[in-house]
This record gives sequence, structure tokens and C-alpha cells, in this order.
Amino acid sequence: MTASVDLADFLPAYLAEAEELLGAAQRHLLAVEASVRRGLAHPRAVRELFRALHTIKGLSAMVDVESIVSIAHWMETSLRHADRAGGRLPEASVEPLMEGLREIEHRVRQLASGKPATPVPAGLLERLEALEAAALGTGPAKPAPVTLELDATLAARLSAAEREQLTAGVASGRRAVRLDFVPGAERAASGITINSVREHVAKLGETVKVLPLSGPAAGGGSLTFALLLLTDAPDAALLEAAGGPPASVRSLVSEQAPAPAGAPAMPSEPELESVAARMEDEPEEQRRGGGTLRVEVSRLDEALERLAALVVNRSRLTRAVAELTAAGAPTRELTTILQENGRQLRDMRAAIIRLRMVKVADVLERLPLLVRGLRRSTGKAVRLELEVGDAELDKAVADRLLPALVHLVRNAVDHALESPEERLAVGKPEEGVVRLACHGGASGLLELSVTDDGRGVDATAVAARAGVPVPSTADGLLDVLCRPGFSTRDAANATSGRGMGMDIVRRIAVDQLGGELRLETRLGVGTTFHLRVPLTITLLDALVFECAGLRYAVAVGSVEELIDVDVARLVRPAGASGVTLVERRGSAVPLLALERLLERGRPEGRSGAGAKALIVRQRGEPVAFAVDRLLGQQEIVLRPLEDPLVRVSGVVGATDLGDGQPTLVLDLAALGAARGGAVRRPEPRQGRERAP
Amino acid sequence: MPEVLVVDDSKVMRDMVVACLRPYPGLTFTHASSGLEAIERLSLQPYDLLVLDLNMPDIGGIEVVEFVRGQDRLRNLPIIIVTTRGDEASRTRALAVGANRFMTKPFTPDAILTEARGLLEEKRG
Repeated sequence: MTASVDLADFLPAYLAEAEELLGAAQRHLLAVEASVRRGLAHPRAVRELFRALHTIKGLSAMVDVESIVSIAHWMETSLRHADRAGGRLPEASVEPLMEGLREIEHRVRQLASGKPATPVPAGLLERLEALEAAALGTGPAKPAPVTLELDATLAARLSAAEREQLTAGVASGRRAVRLDFVPGAERAASGITINSVREHVAKLGETVKVLPLSGPAAGGGSLTFALLLLTDAPDAALLEAAGGPPASVRSLVSEQAPAPAGAPAMPSEPELESVAARMEDEPEEQRRGGGTLRVEVSRLDEALERLAALVVNRSRLTRAVAELTAAGAPTRELTTILQENGRQLRDMRAAIIRLRMVKVADVLERLPLLVRGLRRSTGKAVRLELEVGDAELDKAVADRLLPALVHLVRNAVDHALESPEERLAVGKPEEGVVRLACHGGASGLLELSVTDDGRGVDATAVAARAGVPVPSTADGLLDVLCRPGFSTRDAANATSGRGMGMDIVRRIAVDQLGGELRLETRLGVGTTFHLRVPLTITLLDALVFECAGLRYAVAVGSVEELIDVDVARLVRPAGASGVTLVERRGSAVPLLALERLLERGRPEGRSGAGAKALIVRQRGEPVAFAVDRLLGQQEIVLRPLEDPLVRVSGVVGATDLGDGQPTLVLDLAALGAARGGAVRRPEPRQGRERAP
Repeated sequence: MPEVLVVDDSKVMRDMVVACLRPYPGLTFTHASSGLEAIERLSLQPYDLLVLDLNMPDIGGIEVVEFVRGQDRLRNLPIIIVTTRGDEASRTRALAVGANRFMTKPFTPDAILTEARGLLEEKRG
């Protein structure tokens, strides 16, 4: 009997897990760095960083990537010393560790693109090895003057770093408690396990240590998990998190206990060597373990392809049944089956889309590292604030969107923020702020904003640079900034506050994703870029309509309203650039003839009888697009137009509606903007346009 | 049907271990992603073999072995340690607290299969 498994087959899974571990390692190293700057220890982050590297090392050894094994090994060694020092790391260690992570990441990317991992770069291992000596000079942390009330069994199993974590937590005003959880078969059957308890408790505080204690336990069990926590939560909430009695809570610090003069007894054994690992809650661990399954994106794409084929086939089936019905055939049962089939397809579509969703927070996890690099390269003091919550979006959208966000954040730090001296001179705090916020809308759109408190965009300087008149609106200014190749990097850099490449951002957000990009800026105060992008772009509900003899589709989510166009109530005001206005609930909305935008020749003076209009938001303002007739709403599979020669602004792709004929899928707002420019409204709204 | 509990915080590593042991006929596998989860599972149902990483969240493999050997019911449970920690001190300590085998990553599929087969057949008598 011989094992026939080839561990090289695990390379794709290895790469996915290595990416995840690297993301975690970067987060923990950034947390360590932030503590180092404040002169504090961060034992938990040091241990997590160590563990991530240790796992990378083990996995890399299994798939035979020696260079990563070596780098991870030396990084581990220096971290072991930091752990011995109670989670303190010399400031000089941070950069070589960052370099180590970058080098591991570089090799993971090489492997992902089918290339062999390059050997360890010259000097890196020596620099990492030198950290060992540097770290040795860092003495153990001075314990905080708090006595922990622990029984001998627990006290003996608590490391110096964990003890310090608890005492420092108490010193900073949090409660140190012991929560006892007793597992059992019945509890496990109802989903209450040590994993679920850890997950719930993690939301209520910081888990410093979890210890299994065997022996008679409350409620008749024979095992107790003692969770040592720092928390502000009340006992009742903690008990509930542990599934209620027989769980119990007790404080680890006596109310009357005086602060001792001497240091509490501490175990003398080394930390990471003596006990292989001791860890506390970490959300990504929960995600990686338990009921989570990691799937390669190509497999999800394949599932989507199969679904796409089913969707197209269903459209053909629907058409065939309609023809049979029209011919008088008895199709009642067939129609019922078709309806049921439609429901099933919609459910399957929703399930597949859910599978493809990734957390925006995970997508953006590299941005703190980017800002850290920019902080070093520009010498600017800058803080990145992320407010992304639990929003999710399709992996395909995330992959396209990330470069645009990276670009905006990079520009904000590199160009928009002033130097610390300039900021102080104009009365701003020395440290600039770049804030990325994100909210998932119910309408299938994700709203993101990148805000800086820098110098704002100087419309005059931008116009001078571009050789155009000074734009009077923010949209006009954005148009100039988004001109291909436009750059304010050199001469105008100090005054414009915006670098080159905004055309790339607009191309991604608007042309590729069918979203929207807007600008808000105030000189001397700062700039915000607003993006709205669809959560998913591959499968969507579309409105299908006819215009000038051809069928088109448009995403339902982008259409605000459908209205009938009453020719008698159209207004064509004089001096309004010939834009016809249509009444919509008492207000006038510009009405654009879609066939003209599409350059579909049609004799002037169409009757308009029975014509409809689709109202969409174009740069925040409603615009109506006149079409001949609506054909209905259906689910479509969007196929991007890959050929650059046929890539047209306002056309986001093509679809097959089931009859084998390709149908263009339009982004009406982009089409209107590209063909007609900004619609001139008789009375521009006040307040939103802030550009000078 | 012999039940194997595979404990490692890396899912890929657990999958690798399972793939290596799959040729042994009739084995069924349970995964645990932490030492705590392993201890909970061991306290709730019997297993025939424990394959255990050393470096894990919560508590490490050594503590799991110590816990297991402290339980009468689990005293004879065969344990294979699979670890990146290849130093002699780790090996000595793991075997001293009661692990039956100590394997260093990278291990070959044949090597772990051979160890598992030996232990399972020894247990079966």
C-alpha cells in the first residue's frame, strides 16, 4: 500500500492560504509598529505574527519552497525574542520584518504566476539574523502593579506575556475575568462549542488565554474551558455568550486587593519555545477553520458559466413556449413548470452570487501597508481611517475596483496632503487624514468615498495646466482631471493636489464597472471622491427595450424610474441648448433621445406616441432617456466586449437574450455623459458644486 | 471503521494529511483547527488516531498531548505529531509527554502513512 498523493497538487490551495496568512501577518506587524511608536508592548500581535509566519514556513516546506522557509524562519527567530520580552519589539526591527513579508509575498506571487520562487535576496537573512541580537537587548516588560487572583493550576500555565496583557488591561480600566465554559454532547449538537463560544466572546472583549481543565465540572461534565478575558461587558452578556449555565464568570482582580510592591510571581520558562503556542481569539482564524471552505475563483467562474448557459437556455425555452401558446397549443402545465424553473434559477443565481462575494474589509486589507510605505517615502504624517463595516461585493468587481482605490489613496497621500510644515503653517494638525468609507446599498450598488483633509483641488491651476477655461462645476473639474494623460504631478503639484491617472480611476469605475465617479473639493479643506459601483457585474436583472428598431438592455439597478412620455407635456425652453424637458412629478427632467446618442439614423420628428423614458442618475441628477418600447425585464449574463476596437463609452457589454442575437447592454448615464457631455439644466442645483 | 482526528490550524495542511492517509482502507476523518477544538472533540467521542500539529492557536500540541495522557479513557490513543519544529528539544519534549511518533514537516506521504498504519495495527492488536 503506497500513498499516491503528490503534495505539489496542493500548490493552488497553498497559495490561497499563504496570501491569507500574509494579509494577517501584515496587519499584525502594523499593529506592532503602532504600539512600538507609542512605546507599548503588543504581545498578542507579536504572537499572531509569529504563528502566521510559522504556518507559512510549515506549508512552504511541504510544497518545497525553500526561500520562503528560510525567510520565515529568521523572522520567527526575532519574534521569539520579542515574545520573551513581553511583546516588545525594537523599533529598528519593524522595517526588516516588513521587508521579509514583502519578499515572501513576492515569491508567493511568482509561484502564483507559474514561475519558480527566486532565492533569498542578498543580505536579507543577515539583516533578519541581526534582529536577534537587537531584540536580546530588550529586557522583559515591567509588570503592572496589579495582583491577579488565579488558582495555582491556572497561574502555572500563564506566560509572562499573558500575565502582563491581563495586568496592563486592568491598569487601563478593563475588567479581567475568568469565564468557565463546560462543553457537552447536547450543547455541541445545538451548536454551542468552544469555537462558537470563542467567537461570541471575541465580540465582547479580548481573550487572553483559554485553558482546558479536566476533572468534575459544573453540570456533570468532566471538562471545563477557562477563558481569561479582558472586557467591559457585563457578566450576563458573557454568560449568554457561553450558552448560559453551567457557564460561570468570576473576576480575576479583587476589588480590595492592594497594589503589591513587588512583581507578581511569573513563570521563568521561555515563551514560544516552552509551550508550542498560546493564542487568543482571532477572527480570521474563525474564518479559516470551522465551517469555512476555500474555493479557487476559477471554480466559481465555472459555476457561473454553467449558470449563464442555463439562463440563456431558459430564455430560449420561454420564447418557444410563448410561440406555442400563440399558436394555440395547450401550454398551461408547461408554463407552470417554466415559472418554477425560473424561480429555481433565480435561487441558484443568488446562491452563486453569494459564493462569489468577498468582504470589502478583506479586499482593502493591504491599504494600511500602502499608506505606511507612502508615509515613509513622502515624509508626511498621515493616518488612514477605514470605515468599511461588513459590506461585501463580487470578487470580480473587487479585483477591478482595488487598483482604483489604491490610486485614489496614493494620490491623496502623495499629492493632496500637505507636508507637516505646510499643515502647521495653515493651522491644520500635523497629521493628515485619509478616510475610506464604504456602504453597501440595498439597490445592488456599493458606495465608496475616499476623503482627504489636504489642500483641495485648485480648479484654476488645473485649468491652466490643461489649457482649458476654468471649470465652473465639480463635474467639469473632474472631467478635466480625468482627461487621459492629464497630470498635475510636476509644476502644478503643490497647488493642484491631484496626481496623474484619474482617467484610469474613471475608466475602472465608470467604463468597466458601469458605476459613477464624483468629486467634491474645497480649497484648503480637502477633497472627496465618491464612487458608486454595482455589487456584481456578471449576472444582472435587466430591462430590455427597443429603440430605433434594435433591442438593448440596461441594468435594472441603474434605472430609477420608468415613465410614459406625454408629448403634449414636453417643454423645449429657449436657450437651453435645445434640451427637451419632460415633466416628472412636478419637476422638469432633461429628456434625451436615445437613438441620437446611439447614432441610429431616424427621421426627425418622431411621433413619440406610446414612447417611454428610463430615468437614470447622471452625476447625481435625473436624466430621462426616451426609448420606443419596453420589452420586459429579464435576467441576463453580461459578456464584456473584450476587443478594444469595439469598446465604446456607455456600452458595458453584450448579452444573449436567448435567440442567439447579441444585444448590447448600455450604461445610460455613461452614454449620456460621453455623447452629450453634462446635460445643461435650466436651473443648476445649488450646494453640491463646491469647486471654485 | 477507524476514526482519525486531524488537528492543524492550517486547512491546507489538514487536507494534505488526509490525502496522505486516504490510501489506508476504511479510515474516516474529522478536522479540528485548534488544540481547544481537538480537546473538546476528544472529550465527546472516541477516536482511533490523533494527528496533531504543535504550533496552533489557543494551546499548542504539547498541551493537547498532556491533556490526552491525563485522561484514563484516552491513555492509549495513538498520537502522531506533525510539526515544523524539527529541533531535538521539541522532539524530546513531545515524546516525553506521551506522543507516539514525531514527524517533521516536510514529511512524505509514504512516511506518515507508514507511521499511521503501524500505530493503527498495533492498537488493533
